[in-house]
Amino acid sequence: MPLHDAHYQHWLGSHTSIWGRRLVIAQNGLSACLRNKQLRTFILACWFGGLLMAGTLFFVGQLLVPDSIVTQWVAKMNPNLQAFARMLTFWLKDHPAISVGTTQNVLFYFYCVYSMPLSIFALGLALPALITRDLASNAIVIYSSKAVTRGDYLLGKFCTAFGLMTLTWLGPVCAAWFMGNLLAPDWNFFWYARIALFHALVFGLSSMVILCLLALGVSAVSSREKSTPAIWFIWWVLGLAIQPIALHTLPWLRHVSFGYDLRQIGLATFRLGQDLKTAQDGIPIFGQMLKNVSLETRAALNDPTLGGALAGLALMLLAAALIIKKRVAPE
Amino acid sequence: MTSEPVIETEGLSKVFGRQRALDNVSLKVAPGSIGLLGPNGAGKSTFMKCLLQLQPITFGSAKLLGREVGREGREIRKRVGYAPEQNCHIPGMAGCEYVTYCAQLSGLPFQAARQRAHEMLDFVGMSQERYRKVDSYSTGMKQRLKLAQAIVHDPEIVFLDEPTNGLDPKGQAQILELVQGLWRSYGITVILSSHLLHDVEQVCEQIIIIARGKVLVHDSLENLKARKSGAAEVVLARGHGELQAACRGKNWACDVLPNGHLRIEHRADTLNPLLTLMHELHLPPLEIIPSPNALEETFVQALEISHAAA
Repeated sequence: MPLHDAHYQHWLGSHTSIWGRRLVIAQNGLSACLRNKQLRTFILACWFGGLLMAGTLFFVGQLLVPDSIVTQWVAKMNPNLQAFARMLTFWLKDHPAISVGTTQNVLFYFYCVYSMPLSIFALGLALPALITRDLASNAIVIYSSKAVTRGDYLLGKFCTAFGLMTLTWLGPVCAAWFMGNLLAPDWNFFWYARIALFHALVFGLSSMVILCLLALGVSAVSSREKSTPAIWFIWWVLGLAIQPIALHTLPWLRHVSFGYDLRQIGLATFRLGQDLKTAQDGIPIFGQMLKNVSLETRAALNDPTLGGALAGLALMLLAAALIIKKRVAPE
Repeated sequence: MTSEPVIETEGLSKVFGRQRALDNVSLKVAPGSIGLLGPNGAGKSTFMKCLLQLQPITFGSAKLLGREVGREGREIRKRVGYAPEQNCHIPGMAGCEYVTYCAQLSGLPFQAARQRAHEMLDFVGMSQERYRKVDSYSTGMKQRLKLAQAIVHDPEIVFLDEPTNGLDPKGQAQILELVQGLWRSYGITVILSSHLLHDVEQVCEQIIIIARGKVLVHDSLENLKARKSGAAEVVLARGHGELQAACRGKNWACDVLPNGHLRIEHRADTLNPLLTLMHELHLPPLEIIPSPNALEETFVQALEISHAAA
């Protein structure tokens, strides 16, 4: 006997808002992604990376405390480092914006840029759960026949990808910033590190929006579950491989790589060149140390090819939009 | 219950390249159970898809439940259910999860969606299979699931595209019974698209015949039968030969059908002359089916006219 009355009954309740329905699409997409064991492992790896970053910040923070365990340990390893650490302590007093703010800005640039590949990889694994499967199973027709539009559907899927990237990238970055500064020797660290967080958020959020839109485009290219991740990974790896070859021959070709373009946005956001200059001007010893930085690297830091990167990404986004428009139609 | 038309179209046309899938369709359809008949490729599915905004309308206008199609898509679809012809489940989901999700997409809160999903799965006769992945369902189960997701949000009108495709006779009868009940017992307008005349005749009170993108016939089944009066199918316990001879005497065509029934063309508007004859012969009928093939004849005739015009 059924648990419920087997006769039809009318429903008299009130409907959820359109944002509620979009959220349902996002939730469903995210839970479909998380059914993938590989993806769950990747998310764990990303959080482990965040933990390492928090540890690094803790380590750097302890270097600024006179006679801390870390300083003593460093002194045992190399007496010269102890002198360096003491100097850092003085810097902290005289130039906290540089010793904390600049250091964290540089650290967060590297952390954001070098943890991005993990996130891109995770996104690649999640592609079938975005649009590909819905195309394969004709589920698009069901979405279109319910009280959601194509725009709502795409927004929901975008939120799925965004949620996944928050789990693999922005979440660990923010958690590392918070944990690292919570374990710092002084509460002022939160204040001086705010710019690093702001840069990380601006870079992270803009990159996530771009990557999520590109992922939606690639996810809509085919209805085969194996094809879309393959296209994503080939595009990504090909972009990485082209960079050194194109550097001296066709520099514009580097903008085919979304990874390269996003790094240029990262450089422009974190303003590492500006940081180096401030550090050199403010602290003479930094000036000596940074003389070793090659001219090419300095040029890259000071003048990232932002225009080319934005143009490249704009073209890629346009292509993604066209693919979505063509493919994500009910029939 | 409202008597306002549920569907209103004015010059509705849909063009795919050079092909006109719908050609200047103007209709006013009252609530009820409506059969959309036509051969394959006639434009039945396109007509439904245009109303549901699954296909953009090329020319003309359409109103569904009094609202302009194309302007108030979300609001319209909150009150409309659709079971497409092809399979369109979401892979990896169990049946009850799928129906719950569909209810949520139609705007039901999660708790209500889950409860309604189970109620509708009971209603369509699915038991423990609901906890299995949809991918493993048989054709019959998928058809039931499609019906459940189409009505889970309590729509005012439900579009069913070939709901008995791929079902065995028992499954067909069960689905048709459920569909019939939607209008007769619960007041949900049903638009049943099919190329199977028997399905439509069993369920529907109004008939729309479409061919080559044009509406050829739109009338009630009762009127169609009245138009085709003059023939009857008679079931007798005895005296077949006697009645046949009497019919020949009156110059009425009388044939024995493969099921043993007699088909008599009495050429009158009512059954009275036939009944009088049987009374005179002392042959009590077990059953008399007036205008037995009215729908089929109307359908064939409409198609012939359409072909001739083309």
